[in-house]
Amino acid sequence: MAETLRRVLTRGGAVWSGENTPAAGPPLLLLGTPGSGKTALLFAAALEAAGEGQGPVLFLTRSPLQSMPRGAGTTLDPMRLQKIRFQYPPSTQELFRLLCSAHEAPGPAPSLLLLDGLEEYLAEDPEPQEAAYLIALLLDTAAHFSHRLGPGRDCGLMVALQTQEEADSGDVLHLALLQRYFPAQCWLQPDAPGPGEHGLRACLEPGGLGPRTEWWVTFRSDGEMMIAPWPTQAGDPSSGKGSSSGGQP
Amino acid sequence: MAVVLPAVVEELLSEMAAAVQESARIPDEYLLSLKFLFGSSATQALDLVDRQSITLISSPSGRRVYQVLGSSGKTYTCLASCHYCSCPAFAFSVLRKSDSILCKHLLAVYLSQVMRTCQQLSVSDKQLTDILLMEKKQEA
Repeated sequence: MAETLRRVLTRGGAVWSGENTPAAGPPLLLLGTPGSGKTALLFAAALEAAGEGQGPVLFLTRSPLQSMPRGAGTTLDPMRLQKIRFQYPPSTQELFRLLCSAHEAPGPAPSLLLLDGLEEYLAEDPEPQEAAYLIALLLDTAAHFSHRLGPGRDCGLMVALQTQEEADSGDVLHLALLQRYFPAQCWLQPDAPGPGEHGLRACLEPGGLGPRTEWWVTFRSDGEMMIAPWPTQAGDPSSGKGSSSGGQP
Repeated sequence: MAVVLPAVVEELLSEMAAAVQESARIPDEYLLSLKFLFGSSATQALDLVDRQSITLISSPSGRRVYQVLGSSGKTYTCLASCHYCSCPAFAFSVLRKSDSILCKHLLAVYLSQVMRTCQQLSVSDKQLTDILLMEKKQEA
């Protein structure tokens, strides 16, 4: 799944044109404090994965989105939106039921499984053993979808978890458990690289041997998501690999 | 899925699978490696395999789940897709303390795959849902 997010970030939110069928990459955990743009990035990943010849996408969240996430902006393609199936399990019990019976659902298997707000489900059922089974079922459901998609195609998995500024011991335990099952992680931090600028810093650790990469994500007033590589630490911000996402090939 | 065992375990299991195909038994050097990697769990897992305690349950959808009948008589559910077992040892030693890679039940599942000695059980899609959900209810 890390690969889908990397494509979202390296293409600067530009829609993916579908030249080849991309690999989904390892399951990815998206971490950030409240309001750090997790839902916006999940939604961008959903649109990315619902491109030509791909999809459908299954988007799980506890309650319906109240508005279009930031960044959905002007690039919203109704054909892609139609391929995103939203489901709203209202309780942990219902989420278990949905995952345990995912193989009974008719229709084509999703190529991407997304879950927003994992912390809400974990808070309801805080036993570590329960949390472990819930996470294992998420992975098993994605593995089953991959099996149904056939050889050479994988169903990606991306889960967003809200972190607190000051984690308590329960959060730390959950996080250790999650990191075991999600080798790839993306941390989102509200940040401002210059005066008067507001945005967030996205740091992707793809797991395994891949390099850590950082981006700077801002939202324009028209809702468009702008993504640029994070300026390198070495002083001069303009020495970053690219100045704006729009010019990336 | 990308959640993998440490490379050394993957390698050992695939070498064992090749050896079993050739000679229909696990050569001694692999048994020693197992013992080295997993300690007493290796013997206990082999014992579970010998007693045919592992059942692969599958439904027409293609979804699969393993059940292992533990030495205590209790049945545990294992998800081989992501290395999960419902036993207390997995929750404690593997997930909580990270001082083991696998519990004996999961190791038994992988060994039974290598030795092709699982019992097979076909159930309906609905029954498979109930089996997965029952696991959740047992924990509660």
